[in-house]
Amino acid sequence: MDPQSTIILGKAIGAGLAMIGAAGGGIGIGLSVGGAVQAMGRNPDHTPTIQTNMILGVAFAEAVAIYALVVSLIILFVLN
Amino acid sequence: MNSFWNGKRRYVALLLFLAGVFVALEVPPVIPFIQLPGENLPSGYNIPFTDMRITNTLVAAVIVWILLLLFLAYIARRRPKDGSEVPPGGFYNMFEALYEGLMGFISGIAGGAHFRLIFNMFMTIFLIVLLSNWMSLIPGIDTVGFIHAHTKEKYDPATEEYKVITTDGYEIYQGFLGISYVNGQCDWISPADEAAADEAALANAEAVRLAAIDELAVKVAYARYQASHDGHGDDATEEGAGGHGDDDHAEEAGDSDEASAAYDEVLAAREAEKQARRDRDCYTGVAISPWEDGYEPSGKDEKKEPIPLHPDPGSAEAKRVPWVVLPLVRVASTDLNMTLTLAIIAVVMVQYVGVKALGIGYLTKFFNFGTLFKSPLGGIDVAVGLLELIGDFAKILSFSFRLLGAMFAGAILLFVMSFLVPILPWPFFILEFFVGAIQALVFALLTAIFMNLATISHHHDDDHDHAEAH
Repeated sequence: MDPQSTIILGKAIGAGLAMIGAAGGGIGIGLSVGGAVQAMGRNPDHTPTIQTNMILGVAFAEAVAIYALVVSLIILFVLN
Repeated sequence: MNSFWNGKRRYVALLLFLAGVFVALEVPPVIPFIQLPGENLPSGYNIPFTDMRITNTLVAAVIVWILLLLFLAYIARRRPKDGSEVPPGGFYNMFEALYEGLMGFISGIAGGAHFRLIFNMFMTIFLIVLLSNWMSLIPGIDTVGFIHAHTKEKYDPATEEYKVITTDGYEIYQGFLGISYVNGQCDWISPADEAAADEAALANAEAVRLAAIDELAVKVAYARYQASHDGHGDDATEEGAGGHGDDDHAEEAGDSDEASAAYDEVLAAREAEKQARRDRDCYTGVAISPWEDGYEPSGKDEKKEPIPLHPDPGSAEAKRVPWVVLPLVRVASTDLNMTLTLAIIAVVMVQYVGVKALGIGYLTKFFNFGTLFKSPLGGIDVAVGLLELIGDFAKILSFSFRLLGAMFAGAILLFVMSFLVPILPWPFFILEFFVGAIQALVFALLTAIFMNLATISHHHDDDHDHAEAH
């Protein structure tokens, strides 16, 4: 295998492995939204408060997934 | 205006759909050229009177500022001055509803003594990020721009110089008014394939020439054989051996006319094939290496300007090079410079509002040495303060990378989906619409929340201030 193909192979595998981190973000978002929806169903009066905190939590959980995404983007498009 | 468009908007949508189908059939999709840092515009588009280059994300950022200023001027003009209760309606009304909704939302979160400052910061960041995120939905952005050769520059450590590497891509069509674009008539080309085709044509021509010579030699030998057969059959082999010198002569004679004619014919066919593509107005250009014309790169990492379009694409010396588009405008939030700047501003404002609310005592949040010798667990307070300090720097990183990651990934998604399903990338545009709005809301909301947290003393004295808001 020539060096160029080896580099591409390594980049693709590395970017794919980096995106495994996104699974954690997905689980976190699912848990927090699920909990928030349950809470809203039981207590509709507190929807604004719950929603605010839910968006915050989703943002924090999503940030971790986006770090993984940024790492894989950097591997694909910035590394030479 | 409204009555004219009533009930007719569906035809506009249908027309746009048909236009999409036509474009998808006529124009082949271009391989998206993905680059994380903002691309420099070609030279000649510098910031006036300086050598500083403009990136296409900066263009988008300037457009966002201008749009925001126009927007604010419009809102200020439309605002009823006499305090009348008549709702103005239309766009202004929509904005007022949005503004009031967000105001109530933020007063529920941070409705303390510093509500005005926090809300101003929230709304500013929200509008800037929202506008720059939604710019990716406008047609023409990320797609209209300068066409330049698809080349890469690689530093070769062995010879200590830059090499221009051309890559595969579409050649361009230069059509109406000299506007260049990628068109269905033009082929996908790769410089390596082209060189291989040239080489194959040469080899083929050589083979044809040799075959012609062989055929000629066989003819001559056959004629000789027949001649000898008619006369004295026994001496036929001797004749053949002796006549070898004559065969060589015949070969040379054949080379000069028939064989070389066959050779030229094959090469001419290859040349005609190339010319046919030029006649279809499918141009390539010559890849001019900037370093060949006395250009000296000042450093290894200096950013090279795109290789310019050759003034005469049909010229003989023009090499076949594929082209890519350098967009004139690229969404500002796909550039780390923009998101990092906003993140630094947000975190600095968090510290500002903290100092404003709590005075110099705010700094004890980070450097908490007060309890170090008073209580047995004082060391923990010091460590927690240092962690808070690190956490505030991490906030800058998380702010900037969250927005950059979401918007850059969205831009790539739109590129790739327009490439895969040219007729129907709409669902992804709708997705991007929501992602842009949510990311803008998250950025601004987190700023507001961090600012509110900074105004609350950690000595649990004035917590009731916060509790009242709820």
